[in-house]
Amino acid sequence: MIAWSAPAADRHAEPPSRRRTRWIDGDPTLRDITDDVMRPLTSRPGAAWWAAFAVAASALAIGAASVTYEVTTGIGTWGLNKTVGWAFDITNFVFWVGIGHAGTLISAILLLLRQQWRTAISRSAEAMTIFAVMCAAMFPLIHMGRPWLAFWVLPYPNSRGPLWVNFRSPLLWDVFAINTYLTISLVFWYVGMIPDFATLRDRAQSPLRRFAYSMLSLGWDGSARTWSRYETASTLLAGLATPLVISVHTIVSMDFATSVLPGWHATIFPPYFVAGAVFSGFAMVLTLLIIVRRVMRLERYITLRHLDAMAKIMLLTGSIVGLAYATEFYNAWYGHNVYERAVFLNRVTGPYAWGFWIMVGCNACAPQLLWIRRLRRNVPILFALSIAVNVGMWFERFIIIVTSLHRSFLPSTWTMYRPSMIEVGTLIGSFGLFFTCFLLFVRLLPMIAMWEVKALAGHRDEATR
Amino acid sequence: MRRDVVVGRFHQEPMVIDAVHAVRSCGLRIADVYSPYPIHRLDEAMAIARSRLPLVALAGGVGGLIAALALELYTSVIDWPLNVGGKPDASLLAFIPIAFELTILGAGLATAAGLLIRSRLAPFGAAPVVDRSATDDTFAVVVHCRDSAIDRRLVEQLLLNYGAMSVESRGLPR
Amino acid sequence: MAEPLTFWRERPEADTSRRDFLTRIGFTLAASALAGCSRGPVQQAIPFLNKPEEITPGVASWYATTCGGCSSACALLAKTRDGRPIKIEGNAESRLFGGGTCAAGQATVLSLYDPDRARGPVWRGNATTWEAIDKEIQPRLTAAAERRVVLLSGTITSPSTRALIAEWSSRFPHFSHIVYDAVSFSGLREATRRVFGVAAVPHFRFDEANTIVGLDADFLGTWLSPVEFTRQYAGRRRRALDQDRVRHHHFEAGVSLTGSNADRRILMPPSAHGATALALLRQIAARAGVAIDGLALDATVDNNAIAVAADDLWRDRGHSLVVSGSNEPSVQVIVHAINGVLGNVGTTVDLDAPSLQKQGDDAAVAALVDDMERGDVHALLVYGANPVYDYREASRFVRAMESVALTVSFADRVDETAAHCHAVCPDHHFLEAWGDAEPVAGSFSLAQPTIAPLFDTRAVQDSLLVWLGRAPGFYGYIRETWRRDRFPRQTRYQSFDEFWDHSLHDGVFETRPAPVAPSRSPERLALPTDAWRAAASEIERGSRDAANRSSTEYELHLYETVALGDGRHANNPWLQELPDPVSKITWGNFVAVSAAAAGRLGVESGDVLRVSSGDRVVELPAFVQPGQSSDTVSIARGYGRERAGRVGTGVGANAVRFAAARVVTLAKTGRQQALAATQTHHSVEGRPIVRTLTRDQLRQHDAAVEAPLATLYPPREGGQHHWAMAVDLNACTGCSACVTACQAENNVPVVGADEVRRGREMHWIRVDRYYGGTDAQLTTAVQPMMCQHCENAPCETVCPVLATVHSSDGINQQVYNRCVGTRYCENNCPYKVRRFNWFQYAGNERFDYTLTDPLERMVLNPDVVVRARGVMEKCSLCVQRIQTEKLAARREDRPLADGRIQTACGQSCPADAIVFGDLNDPNSRVAKLRAGRRHYTVLEELGTRPNVGYLMRVVDDEREQTPHTETRL
Repeated sequence: MIAWSAPAADRHAEPPSRRRTRWIDGDPTLRDITDDVMRPLTSRPGAAWWAAFAVAASALAIGAASVTYEVTTGIGTWGLNKTVGWAFDITNFVFWVGIGHAGTLISAILLLLRQQWRTAISRSAEAMTIFAVMCAAMFPLIHMGRPWLAFWVLPYPNSRGPLWVNFRSPLLWDVFAINTYLTISLVFWYVGMIPDFATLRDRAQSPLRRFAYSMLSLGWDGSARTWSRYETASTLLAGLATPLVISVHTIVSMDFATSVLPGWHATIFPPYFVAGAVFSGFAMVLTLLIIVRRVMRLERYITLRHLDAMAKIMLLTGSIVGLAYATEFYNAWYGHNVYERAVFLNRVTGPYAWGFWIMVGCNACAPQLLWIRRLRRNVPILFALSIAVNVGMWFERFIIIVTSLHRSFLPSTWTMYRPSMIEVGTLIGSFGLFFTCFLLFVRLLPMIAMWEVKALAGHRDEATR
Repeated sequence: MRRDVVVGRFHQEPMVIDAVHAVRSCGLRIADVYSPYPIHRLDEAMAIARSRLPLVALAGGVGGLIAALALELYTSVIDWPLNVGGKPDASLLAFIPIAFELTILGAGLATAAGLLIRSRLAPFGAAPVVDRSATDDTFAVVVHCRDSAIDRRLVEQLLLNYGAMSVESRGLPR
Repeated sequence: MAEPLTFWRERPEADTSRRDFLTRIGFTLAASALAGCSRGPVQQAIPFLNKPEEITPGVASWYATTCGGCSSACALLAKTRDGRPIKIEGNAESRLFGGGTCAAGQATVLSLYDPDRARGPVWRGNATTWEAIDKEIQPRLTAAAERRVVLLSGTITSPSTRALIAEWSSRFPHFSHIVYDAVSFSGLREATRRVFGVAAVPHFRFDEANTIVGLDADFLGTWLSPVEFTRQYAGRRRRALDQDRVRHHHFEAGVSLTGSNADRRILMPPSAHGATALALLRQIAARAGVAIDGLALDATVDNNAIAVAADDLWRDRGHSLVVSGSNEPSVQVIVHAINGVLGNVGTTVDLDAPSLQKQGDDAAVAALVDDMERGDVHALLVYGANPVYDYREASRFVRAMESVALTVSFADRVDETAAHCHAVCPDHHFLEAWGDAEPVAGSFSLAQPTIAPLFDTRAVQDSLLVWLGRAPGFYGYIRETWRRDRFPRQTRYQSFDEFWDHSLHDGVFETRPAPVAPSRSPERLALPTDAWRAAASEIERGSRDAANRSSTEYELHLYETVALGDGRHANNPWLQELPDPVSKITWGNFVAVSAAAAGRLGVESGDVLRVSSGDRVVELPAFVQPGQSSDTVSIARGYGRERAGRVGTGVGANAVRFAAARVVTLAKTGRQQALAATQTHHSVEGRPIVRTLTRDQLRQHDAAVEAPLATLYPPREGGQHHWAMAVDLNACTGCSACVTACQAENNVPVVGADEVRRGREMHWIRVDRYYGGTDAQLTTAVQPMMCQHCENAPCETVCPVLATVHSSDGINQQVYNRCVGTRYCENNCPYKVRRFNWFQYAGNERFDYTLTDPLERMVLNPDVVVRARGVMEKCSLCVQRIQTEKLAARREDRPLADGRIQTACGQSCPADAIVFGDLNDPNSRVAKLRAGRRHYTVLEELGTRPNVGYLMRVVDDEREQTPHTETRL
């Protein structure tokens, strides 16, 4: 029969297992959340944003100019030579791919692990992934002697027949890995934004915005059935993205691991590179969010506890990376291979030793500070550390690539590598591209997953009722 | 238009659950519940069947895997066998990475496609606007009811009892 | 990308129109037809409408000729394609030179297309016609009446030209011919005159010598006849492999190619040259029981080393050889004496058939300059010499020229000397002209045109004939001299035409005057003659002067480089970019200083030094040369040309200015000038890359040959052939002829000094050179390194687009037009032999060397594509040559005989160190060599299984001869 009375409170008592730590400061209502997240999209950009955008855009312009010159004149405009065939180009490639990995990790792996704190940062982390992978993908393209023929790396039926590609080449693995990664990340990112697009659609004032958002939101109505199916889909995508992200950097590491070159030919590269990627990725996320939460006044959602959690992951991965360095040297010493030994001795004492020590200092030593809880919650320190790790991880790739190449088997072939201004310009340009994209992102898209945060808030209501 | 549903607006997740339980226990049918975020316990409350998307994903993955291996083996064994570094034509170990990537790709795309098609999500797809704020901070419970005034009033009363901010009877937009 | 034949593209400023091209096509008919009959008019153009019998488009024709690159006059074959010579190769018919060439010889074909050549006669700075210039010159010559007409020439090995000059002497009473060699052997000639009574350069026989002692004579690199000597030297080493031992002691100040090959290299500052020779004579004489009275032992020489050398010489007396690079008659007299006492005269020192490759007479030249200053010389004709550039008192020579009424230069360009002459009557390039040569008495060779003259030039001999009032036509003249002098010296052919045809076809005609016999009895030679005593005391005085040298002064050691020699090839980009066999430096000379001296001066390689002697100053970068004598600096001559052309002008500095100086002072300028070196690390770091074997180890035949390494991959079935190469490190001297040969054969671009500094030279084959030991006892190892054509090639696995794959017959192929340029293959190549096109080198004004100027593009080999920007390239084992021979064999329906296919590098090698062949044929040379004890492959532990292997160098004493036992440098 129908219960006329209002329900009793005890029926809504939370089972203790579902109690959660609070990942939102203050006590925002659902509408507050919508307003807070949408503020950057509706309000006019401030001076800070314009300044940042100007810097990023001009860096991008420098990059564009450098690449144009290189592509029209020849790879000779770089500092490479008969012995060192890769340097800045592939260093930047690996660096950016690595950056990308944190995004997927946060949105996918932490989703599977039911880590509530990811909700606030996952959106921007995924965005970062996509922009980073875009930057990364640029380098294999422009590092080619004849980039206009880059499509030859794709196995497409052609009339020159039979003419296919070499599926044994790690570079081809890269092609597939990077493209898959970019595609899946985009899908994951977009699917995650559909409900928020709907929110934007329903609150949009200008017809233009409404037009755009109603196109993007695909007619989302928030029906319970759709939500149910939607959550299954996102869990599936997360489950797929997790092995993907690991495979991508494994394959990137195989560019080196499968070669015959001492210093590259190492079996520990895959785990070593994956850890390094997560490490550098989280560093970049920190760098970005520490700025964003301040500028966009989102401290409420991106709390110190978020920063603390990320700092812990940096500590873990940083230590793994440090261990990998040690292992490499142990192998070189224990392996009794004259060429291997020479390469690692050269890393420590050779002409590029300064780079090596920057790498060790920034990647292996600096993060150890994060054992101290006080530092993990000290924003300036964290910011400084995140920058240090970004620098250190760039040098790690540079050292691995250049010091292994410039003095390999035959001493007669030993040379030195010096980057040209064009290469430096290209590196600057990649940062320009990255930050330009990110700055546009924070103005045009909800940089926090509203529906996820609302879910947290909603459950919070429940928990605290 | 026939007035055959009652829409109750709530502002708190728990009340929605209770309302849904109550409504269904009265033998009334819930047309749907529109919420700004997923409410897990609604699934059993509304008895929503588990999605079959995982099977779609599996199919996509297997498809990708087969496509990858077929491409690799056809090109490097059948169509164009070449001596590359003295390695065998079918260097299966070397073929694994790409096979893996395409498996993931297939599964991922299948999942996304499955979601969009099954939920009829498409650009400019018209959202049945029960309440604009349903994507903001409102939970809208939509209840079917026979076309008799008394029942309608009972249902409205029921929803109000369970904490609805407002109730409204109207026809579902087509 | 393939654009081999575009050289006839119409270009307003280019001198090669399609019409000219056809002219040349036509001429090739003429040239070949001429072999038999009298010479037809050269200018006639025969288009391919009626195709000449001898020419098939796309098929090469070969013409025997003689190298005009230097006075060694090696016998050559010139390969022509569609009427243009594109490649020089050695003529295997020649008993003296075999099939070998040197780098400069290989490069002469490029000089033919040098755009800076004079395009026609020039009278007082204005271009003119031959008729006009003859009208100007001829009366002036005849008007000479009482005053002298002098032909100043470099060594002329052509007997016909000498005959023509003889005619001049008889025609003009006051005519005289003076021979001037920039690098003079006048001292040796004079010494021979004093000791043996004839002014001649002996013909040295290194192939007969079991012990060789060299005193600063770079006979493997630049001295007298390096191709011939390298052939002899390597041949002797090969014969000696596991039986008797050959010993080579080399005394020198700087490191020469020869010194770096010696078993024992001993430091000897130039000032100690004579004293060393004397000390050696004493030691030998003591062993021979000949008393040398009144000369105290000289403390400035390394008596122990000399004693060791003397022991070896004495043990091998009669089959040993001492040579000296000194131009001091007194020193050469002592050296003759040593060889005399050792009884080498007649065996290793051949005077019956002396060398005619150096005929210069310094005294006569000095006298000529005096006469010119005095105004006694009315007309000066300069041929094959450039005194204004390389005479030791160039400025004085210029002044002297001003008082000569008529100065005529026959130079191929307006060079330093021609610029000061009234008339320039440019000579043909030797590939455009008829000629003959007699490098060694009794060994003749012919030269025939392989292309119509590119420019309005005229053979010197024709000019001389015309000015004699005779009709031009040196071809007829040569035939006459051969009919008169050569034909009677043979019995094989009855008719002269038959004899001529065969001689022209073979390119060489060699007779042996009398059986080898010492022209003086050993007894008489063994006794101290007055000549020695005079020489000895002269030397004593000299070394006493040399002793007093201030501490800031350094002894100067001038030397020739293998690439540029005396500098006449300075405008040849191939040679400018050829890494010096010793220093591995390209594009310019430098001051080689010892580490000790560098420390004293506080300089490092690349610091610019001011070198001065009196008022003469040059500034050159320093290079710290391991094995350099501590107080001696070595500077290469042949650089610093002022009027060589757009490539060679201003490269390096002219060190000949110091030719008169004995010592120079050095000062640091503080400026830097990076050296364009292709190898910057000189130690082998103890790695087993260049392997050696002691004679004892070699004798142990049971010694186990390493078993092939295991592999995880199932074997792939091979094709009909399995091409492979074996490089004999025991024969290779590092002369680098292969580098230029490869460059010519495969259209390898020249990239210029800056790109070399950036480590981007494009050579497909390089010669790695490693040092070991100490400055005092430098050990050197060389290793030609090209693509190793691995069976399991790391480069192939990593190419994403299959642009480098393995052929069924064992070649690692590079598919240029498929390459997208990831450079992954380059990174993964353990040998780093792959070369990347960093820029567009062809048709790019920035790289205006060999692939841009339409004239120079005529040298391109149409069988090899010119690579475009952004693609990888590397050694192809001359696959085009392989194909040519395979097709020929199939066409003629015969099996492909071993040795028919020669790669460019192997063909050019005077030491025959590079053997190519088919491993599927168990009897092929290469198969046998690979099965031998000495064979190994570099970095075989990587499992790359290279098809290019090496044969270990055989040494007597590990310590003294293998660099990687000592890695101090």
